[in-house]
Amino acid sequence: MRLPIAFAAAAAFAAALAVPAFAADSVKIGALYPLTGNSAPAGQAAKAAVELGVEIVNAAHPELKGLPLADSAGLPNLGGAKIDVIHVDHQGDPSVGQQQTLRLITQEHVAALLGVYHSSVALTATAVAERYGVPFVVGDSVAANITQRGFKWTFRVTPIATDFAAAYTEFLKQMKTIGKKVDSIAILNENTDYGTSVGGSIAEAARKGGFDVQQIVYNAKSTDVSAQVLQLKEKKPDVAIFVGYTADEILYMKTLRDLDYMPSMIIGDDAGFSDPSFIPAVGDLAQGVLDRSAWAVGAPGSVTFAINEMYKARTGRDLDDTSGRWMQALLVLADAINRAGSTDPAKIQQALQETDLKPAQLMMGYRGVKFDAAGQNILASTYLIQLQGKAYKAVWPETRATAQLQWPMTGWK
Amino acid sequence: MRWGWLALAAMLLAYPWLVAGSASGAFLQDMGALVLLAAIGAAAWNVLGGYAGQISVGHAMFFGAGAYMPLLVYQHWQLPPLLGMPLGVAASLVVAIIIGFPTFRLSGHYFSMATIAVAELVRIVVGNWDFLGAAIGLQGPATARGWYDFVFRSAVPYYYLFLGVLALLLLVTWQMQRSRLGYYLRAVRAGERAARSLGVPVRRYKLYALMLSAGFTSLAGSLYALKTGFVDPDSGLGILVSVQMIIIAALGGAGTLLGPLLGAMILVPLQTATNTWLGGSGSGLTYIVYGGVIVLIARFEPGGLVELWHRQATARLMRRGEARHAA
Amino acid sequence: MILLQVVVGGLLLGAVYALFSSGLTLIWGMMNFINFAHGEFVMLGMYAALLAVLWIGGGPVVFGLAAALGLFLLGVIVYFALIREVMRGPMLAQILSTFGLALLLRYAAFWIFSPNFITLPHTALAGTINLAGILISIPQLVAGLAAAVLATLMHVALMRTAVGSQLRAVAEDRTAAMLMGIRPDRMQALAWGLAAASAGIAGALMAISFPFSPAVGETFALTAFVVVTLGGFGSVPGAMLAGLIVGLIQALSAYWFGPIYKDVVVYGLFVALLWLRPQGLLGTA
Repeated sequence: MRLPIAFAAAAAFAAALAVPAFAADSVKIGALYPLTGNSAPAGQAAKAAVELGVEIVNAAHPELKGLPLADSAGLPNLGGAKIDVIHVDHQGDPSVGQQQTLRLITQEHVAALLGVYHSSVALTATAVAERYGVPFVVGDSVAANITQRGFKWTFRVTPIATDFAAAYTEFLKQMKTIGKKVDSIAILNENTDYGTSVGGSIAEAARKGGFDVQQIVYNAKSTDVSAQVLQLKEKKPDVAIFVGYTADEILYMKTLRDLDYMPSMIIGDDAGFSDPSFIPAVGDLAQGVLDRSAWAVGAPGSVTFAINEMYKARTGRDLDDTSGRWMQALLVLADAINRAGSTDPAKIQQALQETDLKPAQLMMGYRGVKFDAAGQNILASTYLIQLQGKAYKAVWPETRATAQLQWPMTGWK
Repeated sequence: MRWGWLALAAMLLAYPWLVAGSASGAFLQDMGALVLLAAIGAAAWNVLGGYAGQISVGHAMFFGAGAYMPLLVYQHWQLPPLLGMPLGVAASLVVAIIIGFPTFRLSGHYFSMATIAVAELVRIVVGNWDFLGAAIGLQGPATARGWYDFVFRSAVPYYYLFLGVLALLLLVTWQMQRSRLGYYLRAVRAGERAARSLGVPVRRYKLYALMLSAGFTSLAGSLYALKTGFVDPDSGLGILVSVQMIIIAALGGAGTLLGPLLGAMILVPLQTATNTWLGGSGSGLTYIVYGGVIVLIARFEPGGLVELWHRQATARLMRRGEARHAA
Repeated sequence: MILLQVVVGGLLLGAVYALFSSGLTLIWGMMNFINFAHGEFVMLGMYAALLAVLWIGGGPVVFGLAAALGLFLLGVIVYFALIREVMRGPMLAQILSTFGLALLLRYAAFWIFSPNFITLPHTALAGTINLAGILISIPQLVAGLAAAVLATLMHVALMRTAVGSQLRAVAEDRTAAMLMGIRPDRMQALAWGLAAASAGIAGALMAISFPFSPAVGETFALTAFVVVTLGGFGSVPGAMLAGLIVGLIQALSAYWFGPIYKDVVVYGLFVALLWLRPQGLLGTA
């Protein structure tokens, strides 16, 4: 008797799952985020950014000059068809990512996919897309090997760990040439895959650049970081680079102040420093810190300022770099679908390969969007922004600077 | 009773073919494979936790050993992951023996706590060891070099592979249940002190159960690695991996033969459905449902669905008996 | 000098550990029951403090009280709704029940408050003081001292008051206590309330210095288990002592061996204790 019950229950679920969603005359895209689990804050912010991107494409926004597809409603080459994003939570679990990607492709018949945040999930999800021949645009997962597997259907818009490392090294070398004391660097990275891969890349690049590098690895969910700060205080590096998430970075700033230690400059590697809760929590302690970002709000009247206002209206917070990269990825994908003029994945893949966007057409500060044979955007770049007052301002490279770089940082003094 | 088994076997064998025609065929086949994989893990845990009554909340370490080994031999030496499976089993058995001896001195909650602590230690050590991928994890072959890489586009080959392993495990469990090992384990579960005083070599047989359980859990981990192609400390050694095995076994009925399979058949589609319907909103409802299900099982039906069925069957028999009396 | 700094920091945090672990050890001693949701009680205490600040305003005393009352109520409800029934069931159910509860509480907080990290708005307790070259942040000092005082109060209450002896009686021998006219049910509910309340206050105290989110409960739960095991199941003074020791060990390991090894040392200690001296420092076997 138990068998029929089990069978019936399973069959009911299967039947319920087997009904795909439908919206007429639209282009379906699947997006995978970590909406629960430890990265939920980033995932949810990213989802809001993607939704804003969709709104920009689907409705007419002529005030966003230069942004492809902004001034028309929908996709012109597909008769004004709207983009319909199916949002999926992968829970930070590579197996769920794999399963849901499969579902999006075979059940929902999406034309393309967007994701993923966690590099671990990106690896399994893009593999499914590769097997089924559906384009997958990666907005912000930075592990190098995502685009090193010889895949033809994966496209990554964001810069990767080695790009950041190169940017920091170049910046620090430049500082040295103009006479600032930059001989020793300490890198404090948390020990999950983000911190480990980025921290490692920075250490390698900095050592090659001739700096004396120390790497301090710490536990991501620490309740107390005084030991690390005391180590810093003892070793007195000229520059400290932090690679970690929001809670860690807030904690670090507070502990630095409490233990009264401030290096000449602190550089935050995006993530925690860019999180909207960072400035309200420790902005007054962190005056002059540098942050790595490809997003700057810009002056009123600019396209980026307008986008930020729209995002603020939706979520109550400023757009952060990570979420901005997701939105940019969506816009790139939408542009490619439009150029393809079809929802056929193979045509979209070709359009993506032919992408050649100029900086004026982007909301992020990349030098453009152009994919190489491995699917990596070779014009991805980043710049450094500095916390001056209540907001970050772009200070490096000079070509993008909107404010003067202050060195050393003033911190809480 | 025999036709019940045949019907079950037939249904399981035919499932991929039955759903192939539907609009979501590929997805349902994939889910079928995941159900079987979950059932293997739960059934393996069941040997120690259900039959012997030793609630280990650290089985992730065996699962992880099984998941890491195949991907390790691939990542470092480009060997087919399959070759790593026996290594995974061997590693699990070694860990089981090292852990088992001291830990079995503890009982009840203390034993469970110890298993959690050891599993967490393993996770932290692996997460900081570069050779094992540290926090970044290990990757399997992205595209197949041949059938031996077990990288399939369709879920159907995985489905039948998992079905075969599950059948083997259930057969072994059934044999164990009827053997002396099973007999002693039941005694231990009922009352360890009493069993010892009756001459049952408690320590040794608990160890046998642990080794059997660890070995099969390791196989579950290896099969997971083959299918997913990736493992890292969280997905292979995290505490939720252990908890999932326990929940599934408990839902179906810990200590029963088909309990784990039953639990998997209900819980895995439930989790997928809640994530599919509720997950996109990001409200966390998926986990509220999961936590809620766990609490409900613990509070109202700790014996699982099998127990529920038995009670109803008994009630039905009694009613039939009364009716016969009255007549 | 730096070493002394490390020691002081470790002890202050350890006092907070002592506070939230005292409640856990009480339950453990009375009912031989591990509460896997204890970390979530701490987390909810943090959010109770947040709500108090937002709705009522006021300083640490106010939100400490809010956390204590709110969590006490929660503890008692959890006892009557779940724990009492589950205690009569098999071991599997007991272990699963608080696991499920932990997930439920964590994601309920997630749903209500969102997963973002929050810090309490700046209160009057900001700043650092300099004691003979050692820099101590005022919020951490206040948290540590308050925790130490409260934990001591709990111990004194258990030893000297009538209710306290009733609680201890039930912990020592349930049947005998029943024969003496004590209602074990009520005492156990009280124990749960106290445990949750002490966890809640500890959370509120920590919230002054640390950013928090629904996910932070897990780390606290594991720390609490180590402290309780070291101190001895059922011994509140044991938990107090062990809390300080664990705080100290964490700080020193992080400083000497590197932050990663901090966890390895603490867990290793935990496992070693379970094997070699399960009764801990001050507990009875």
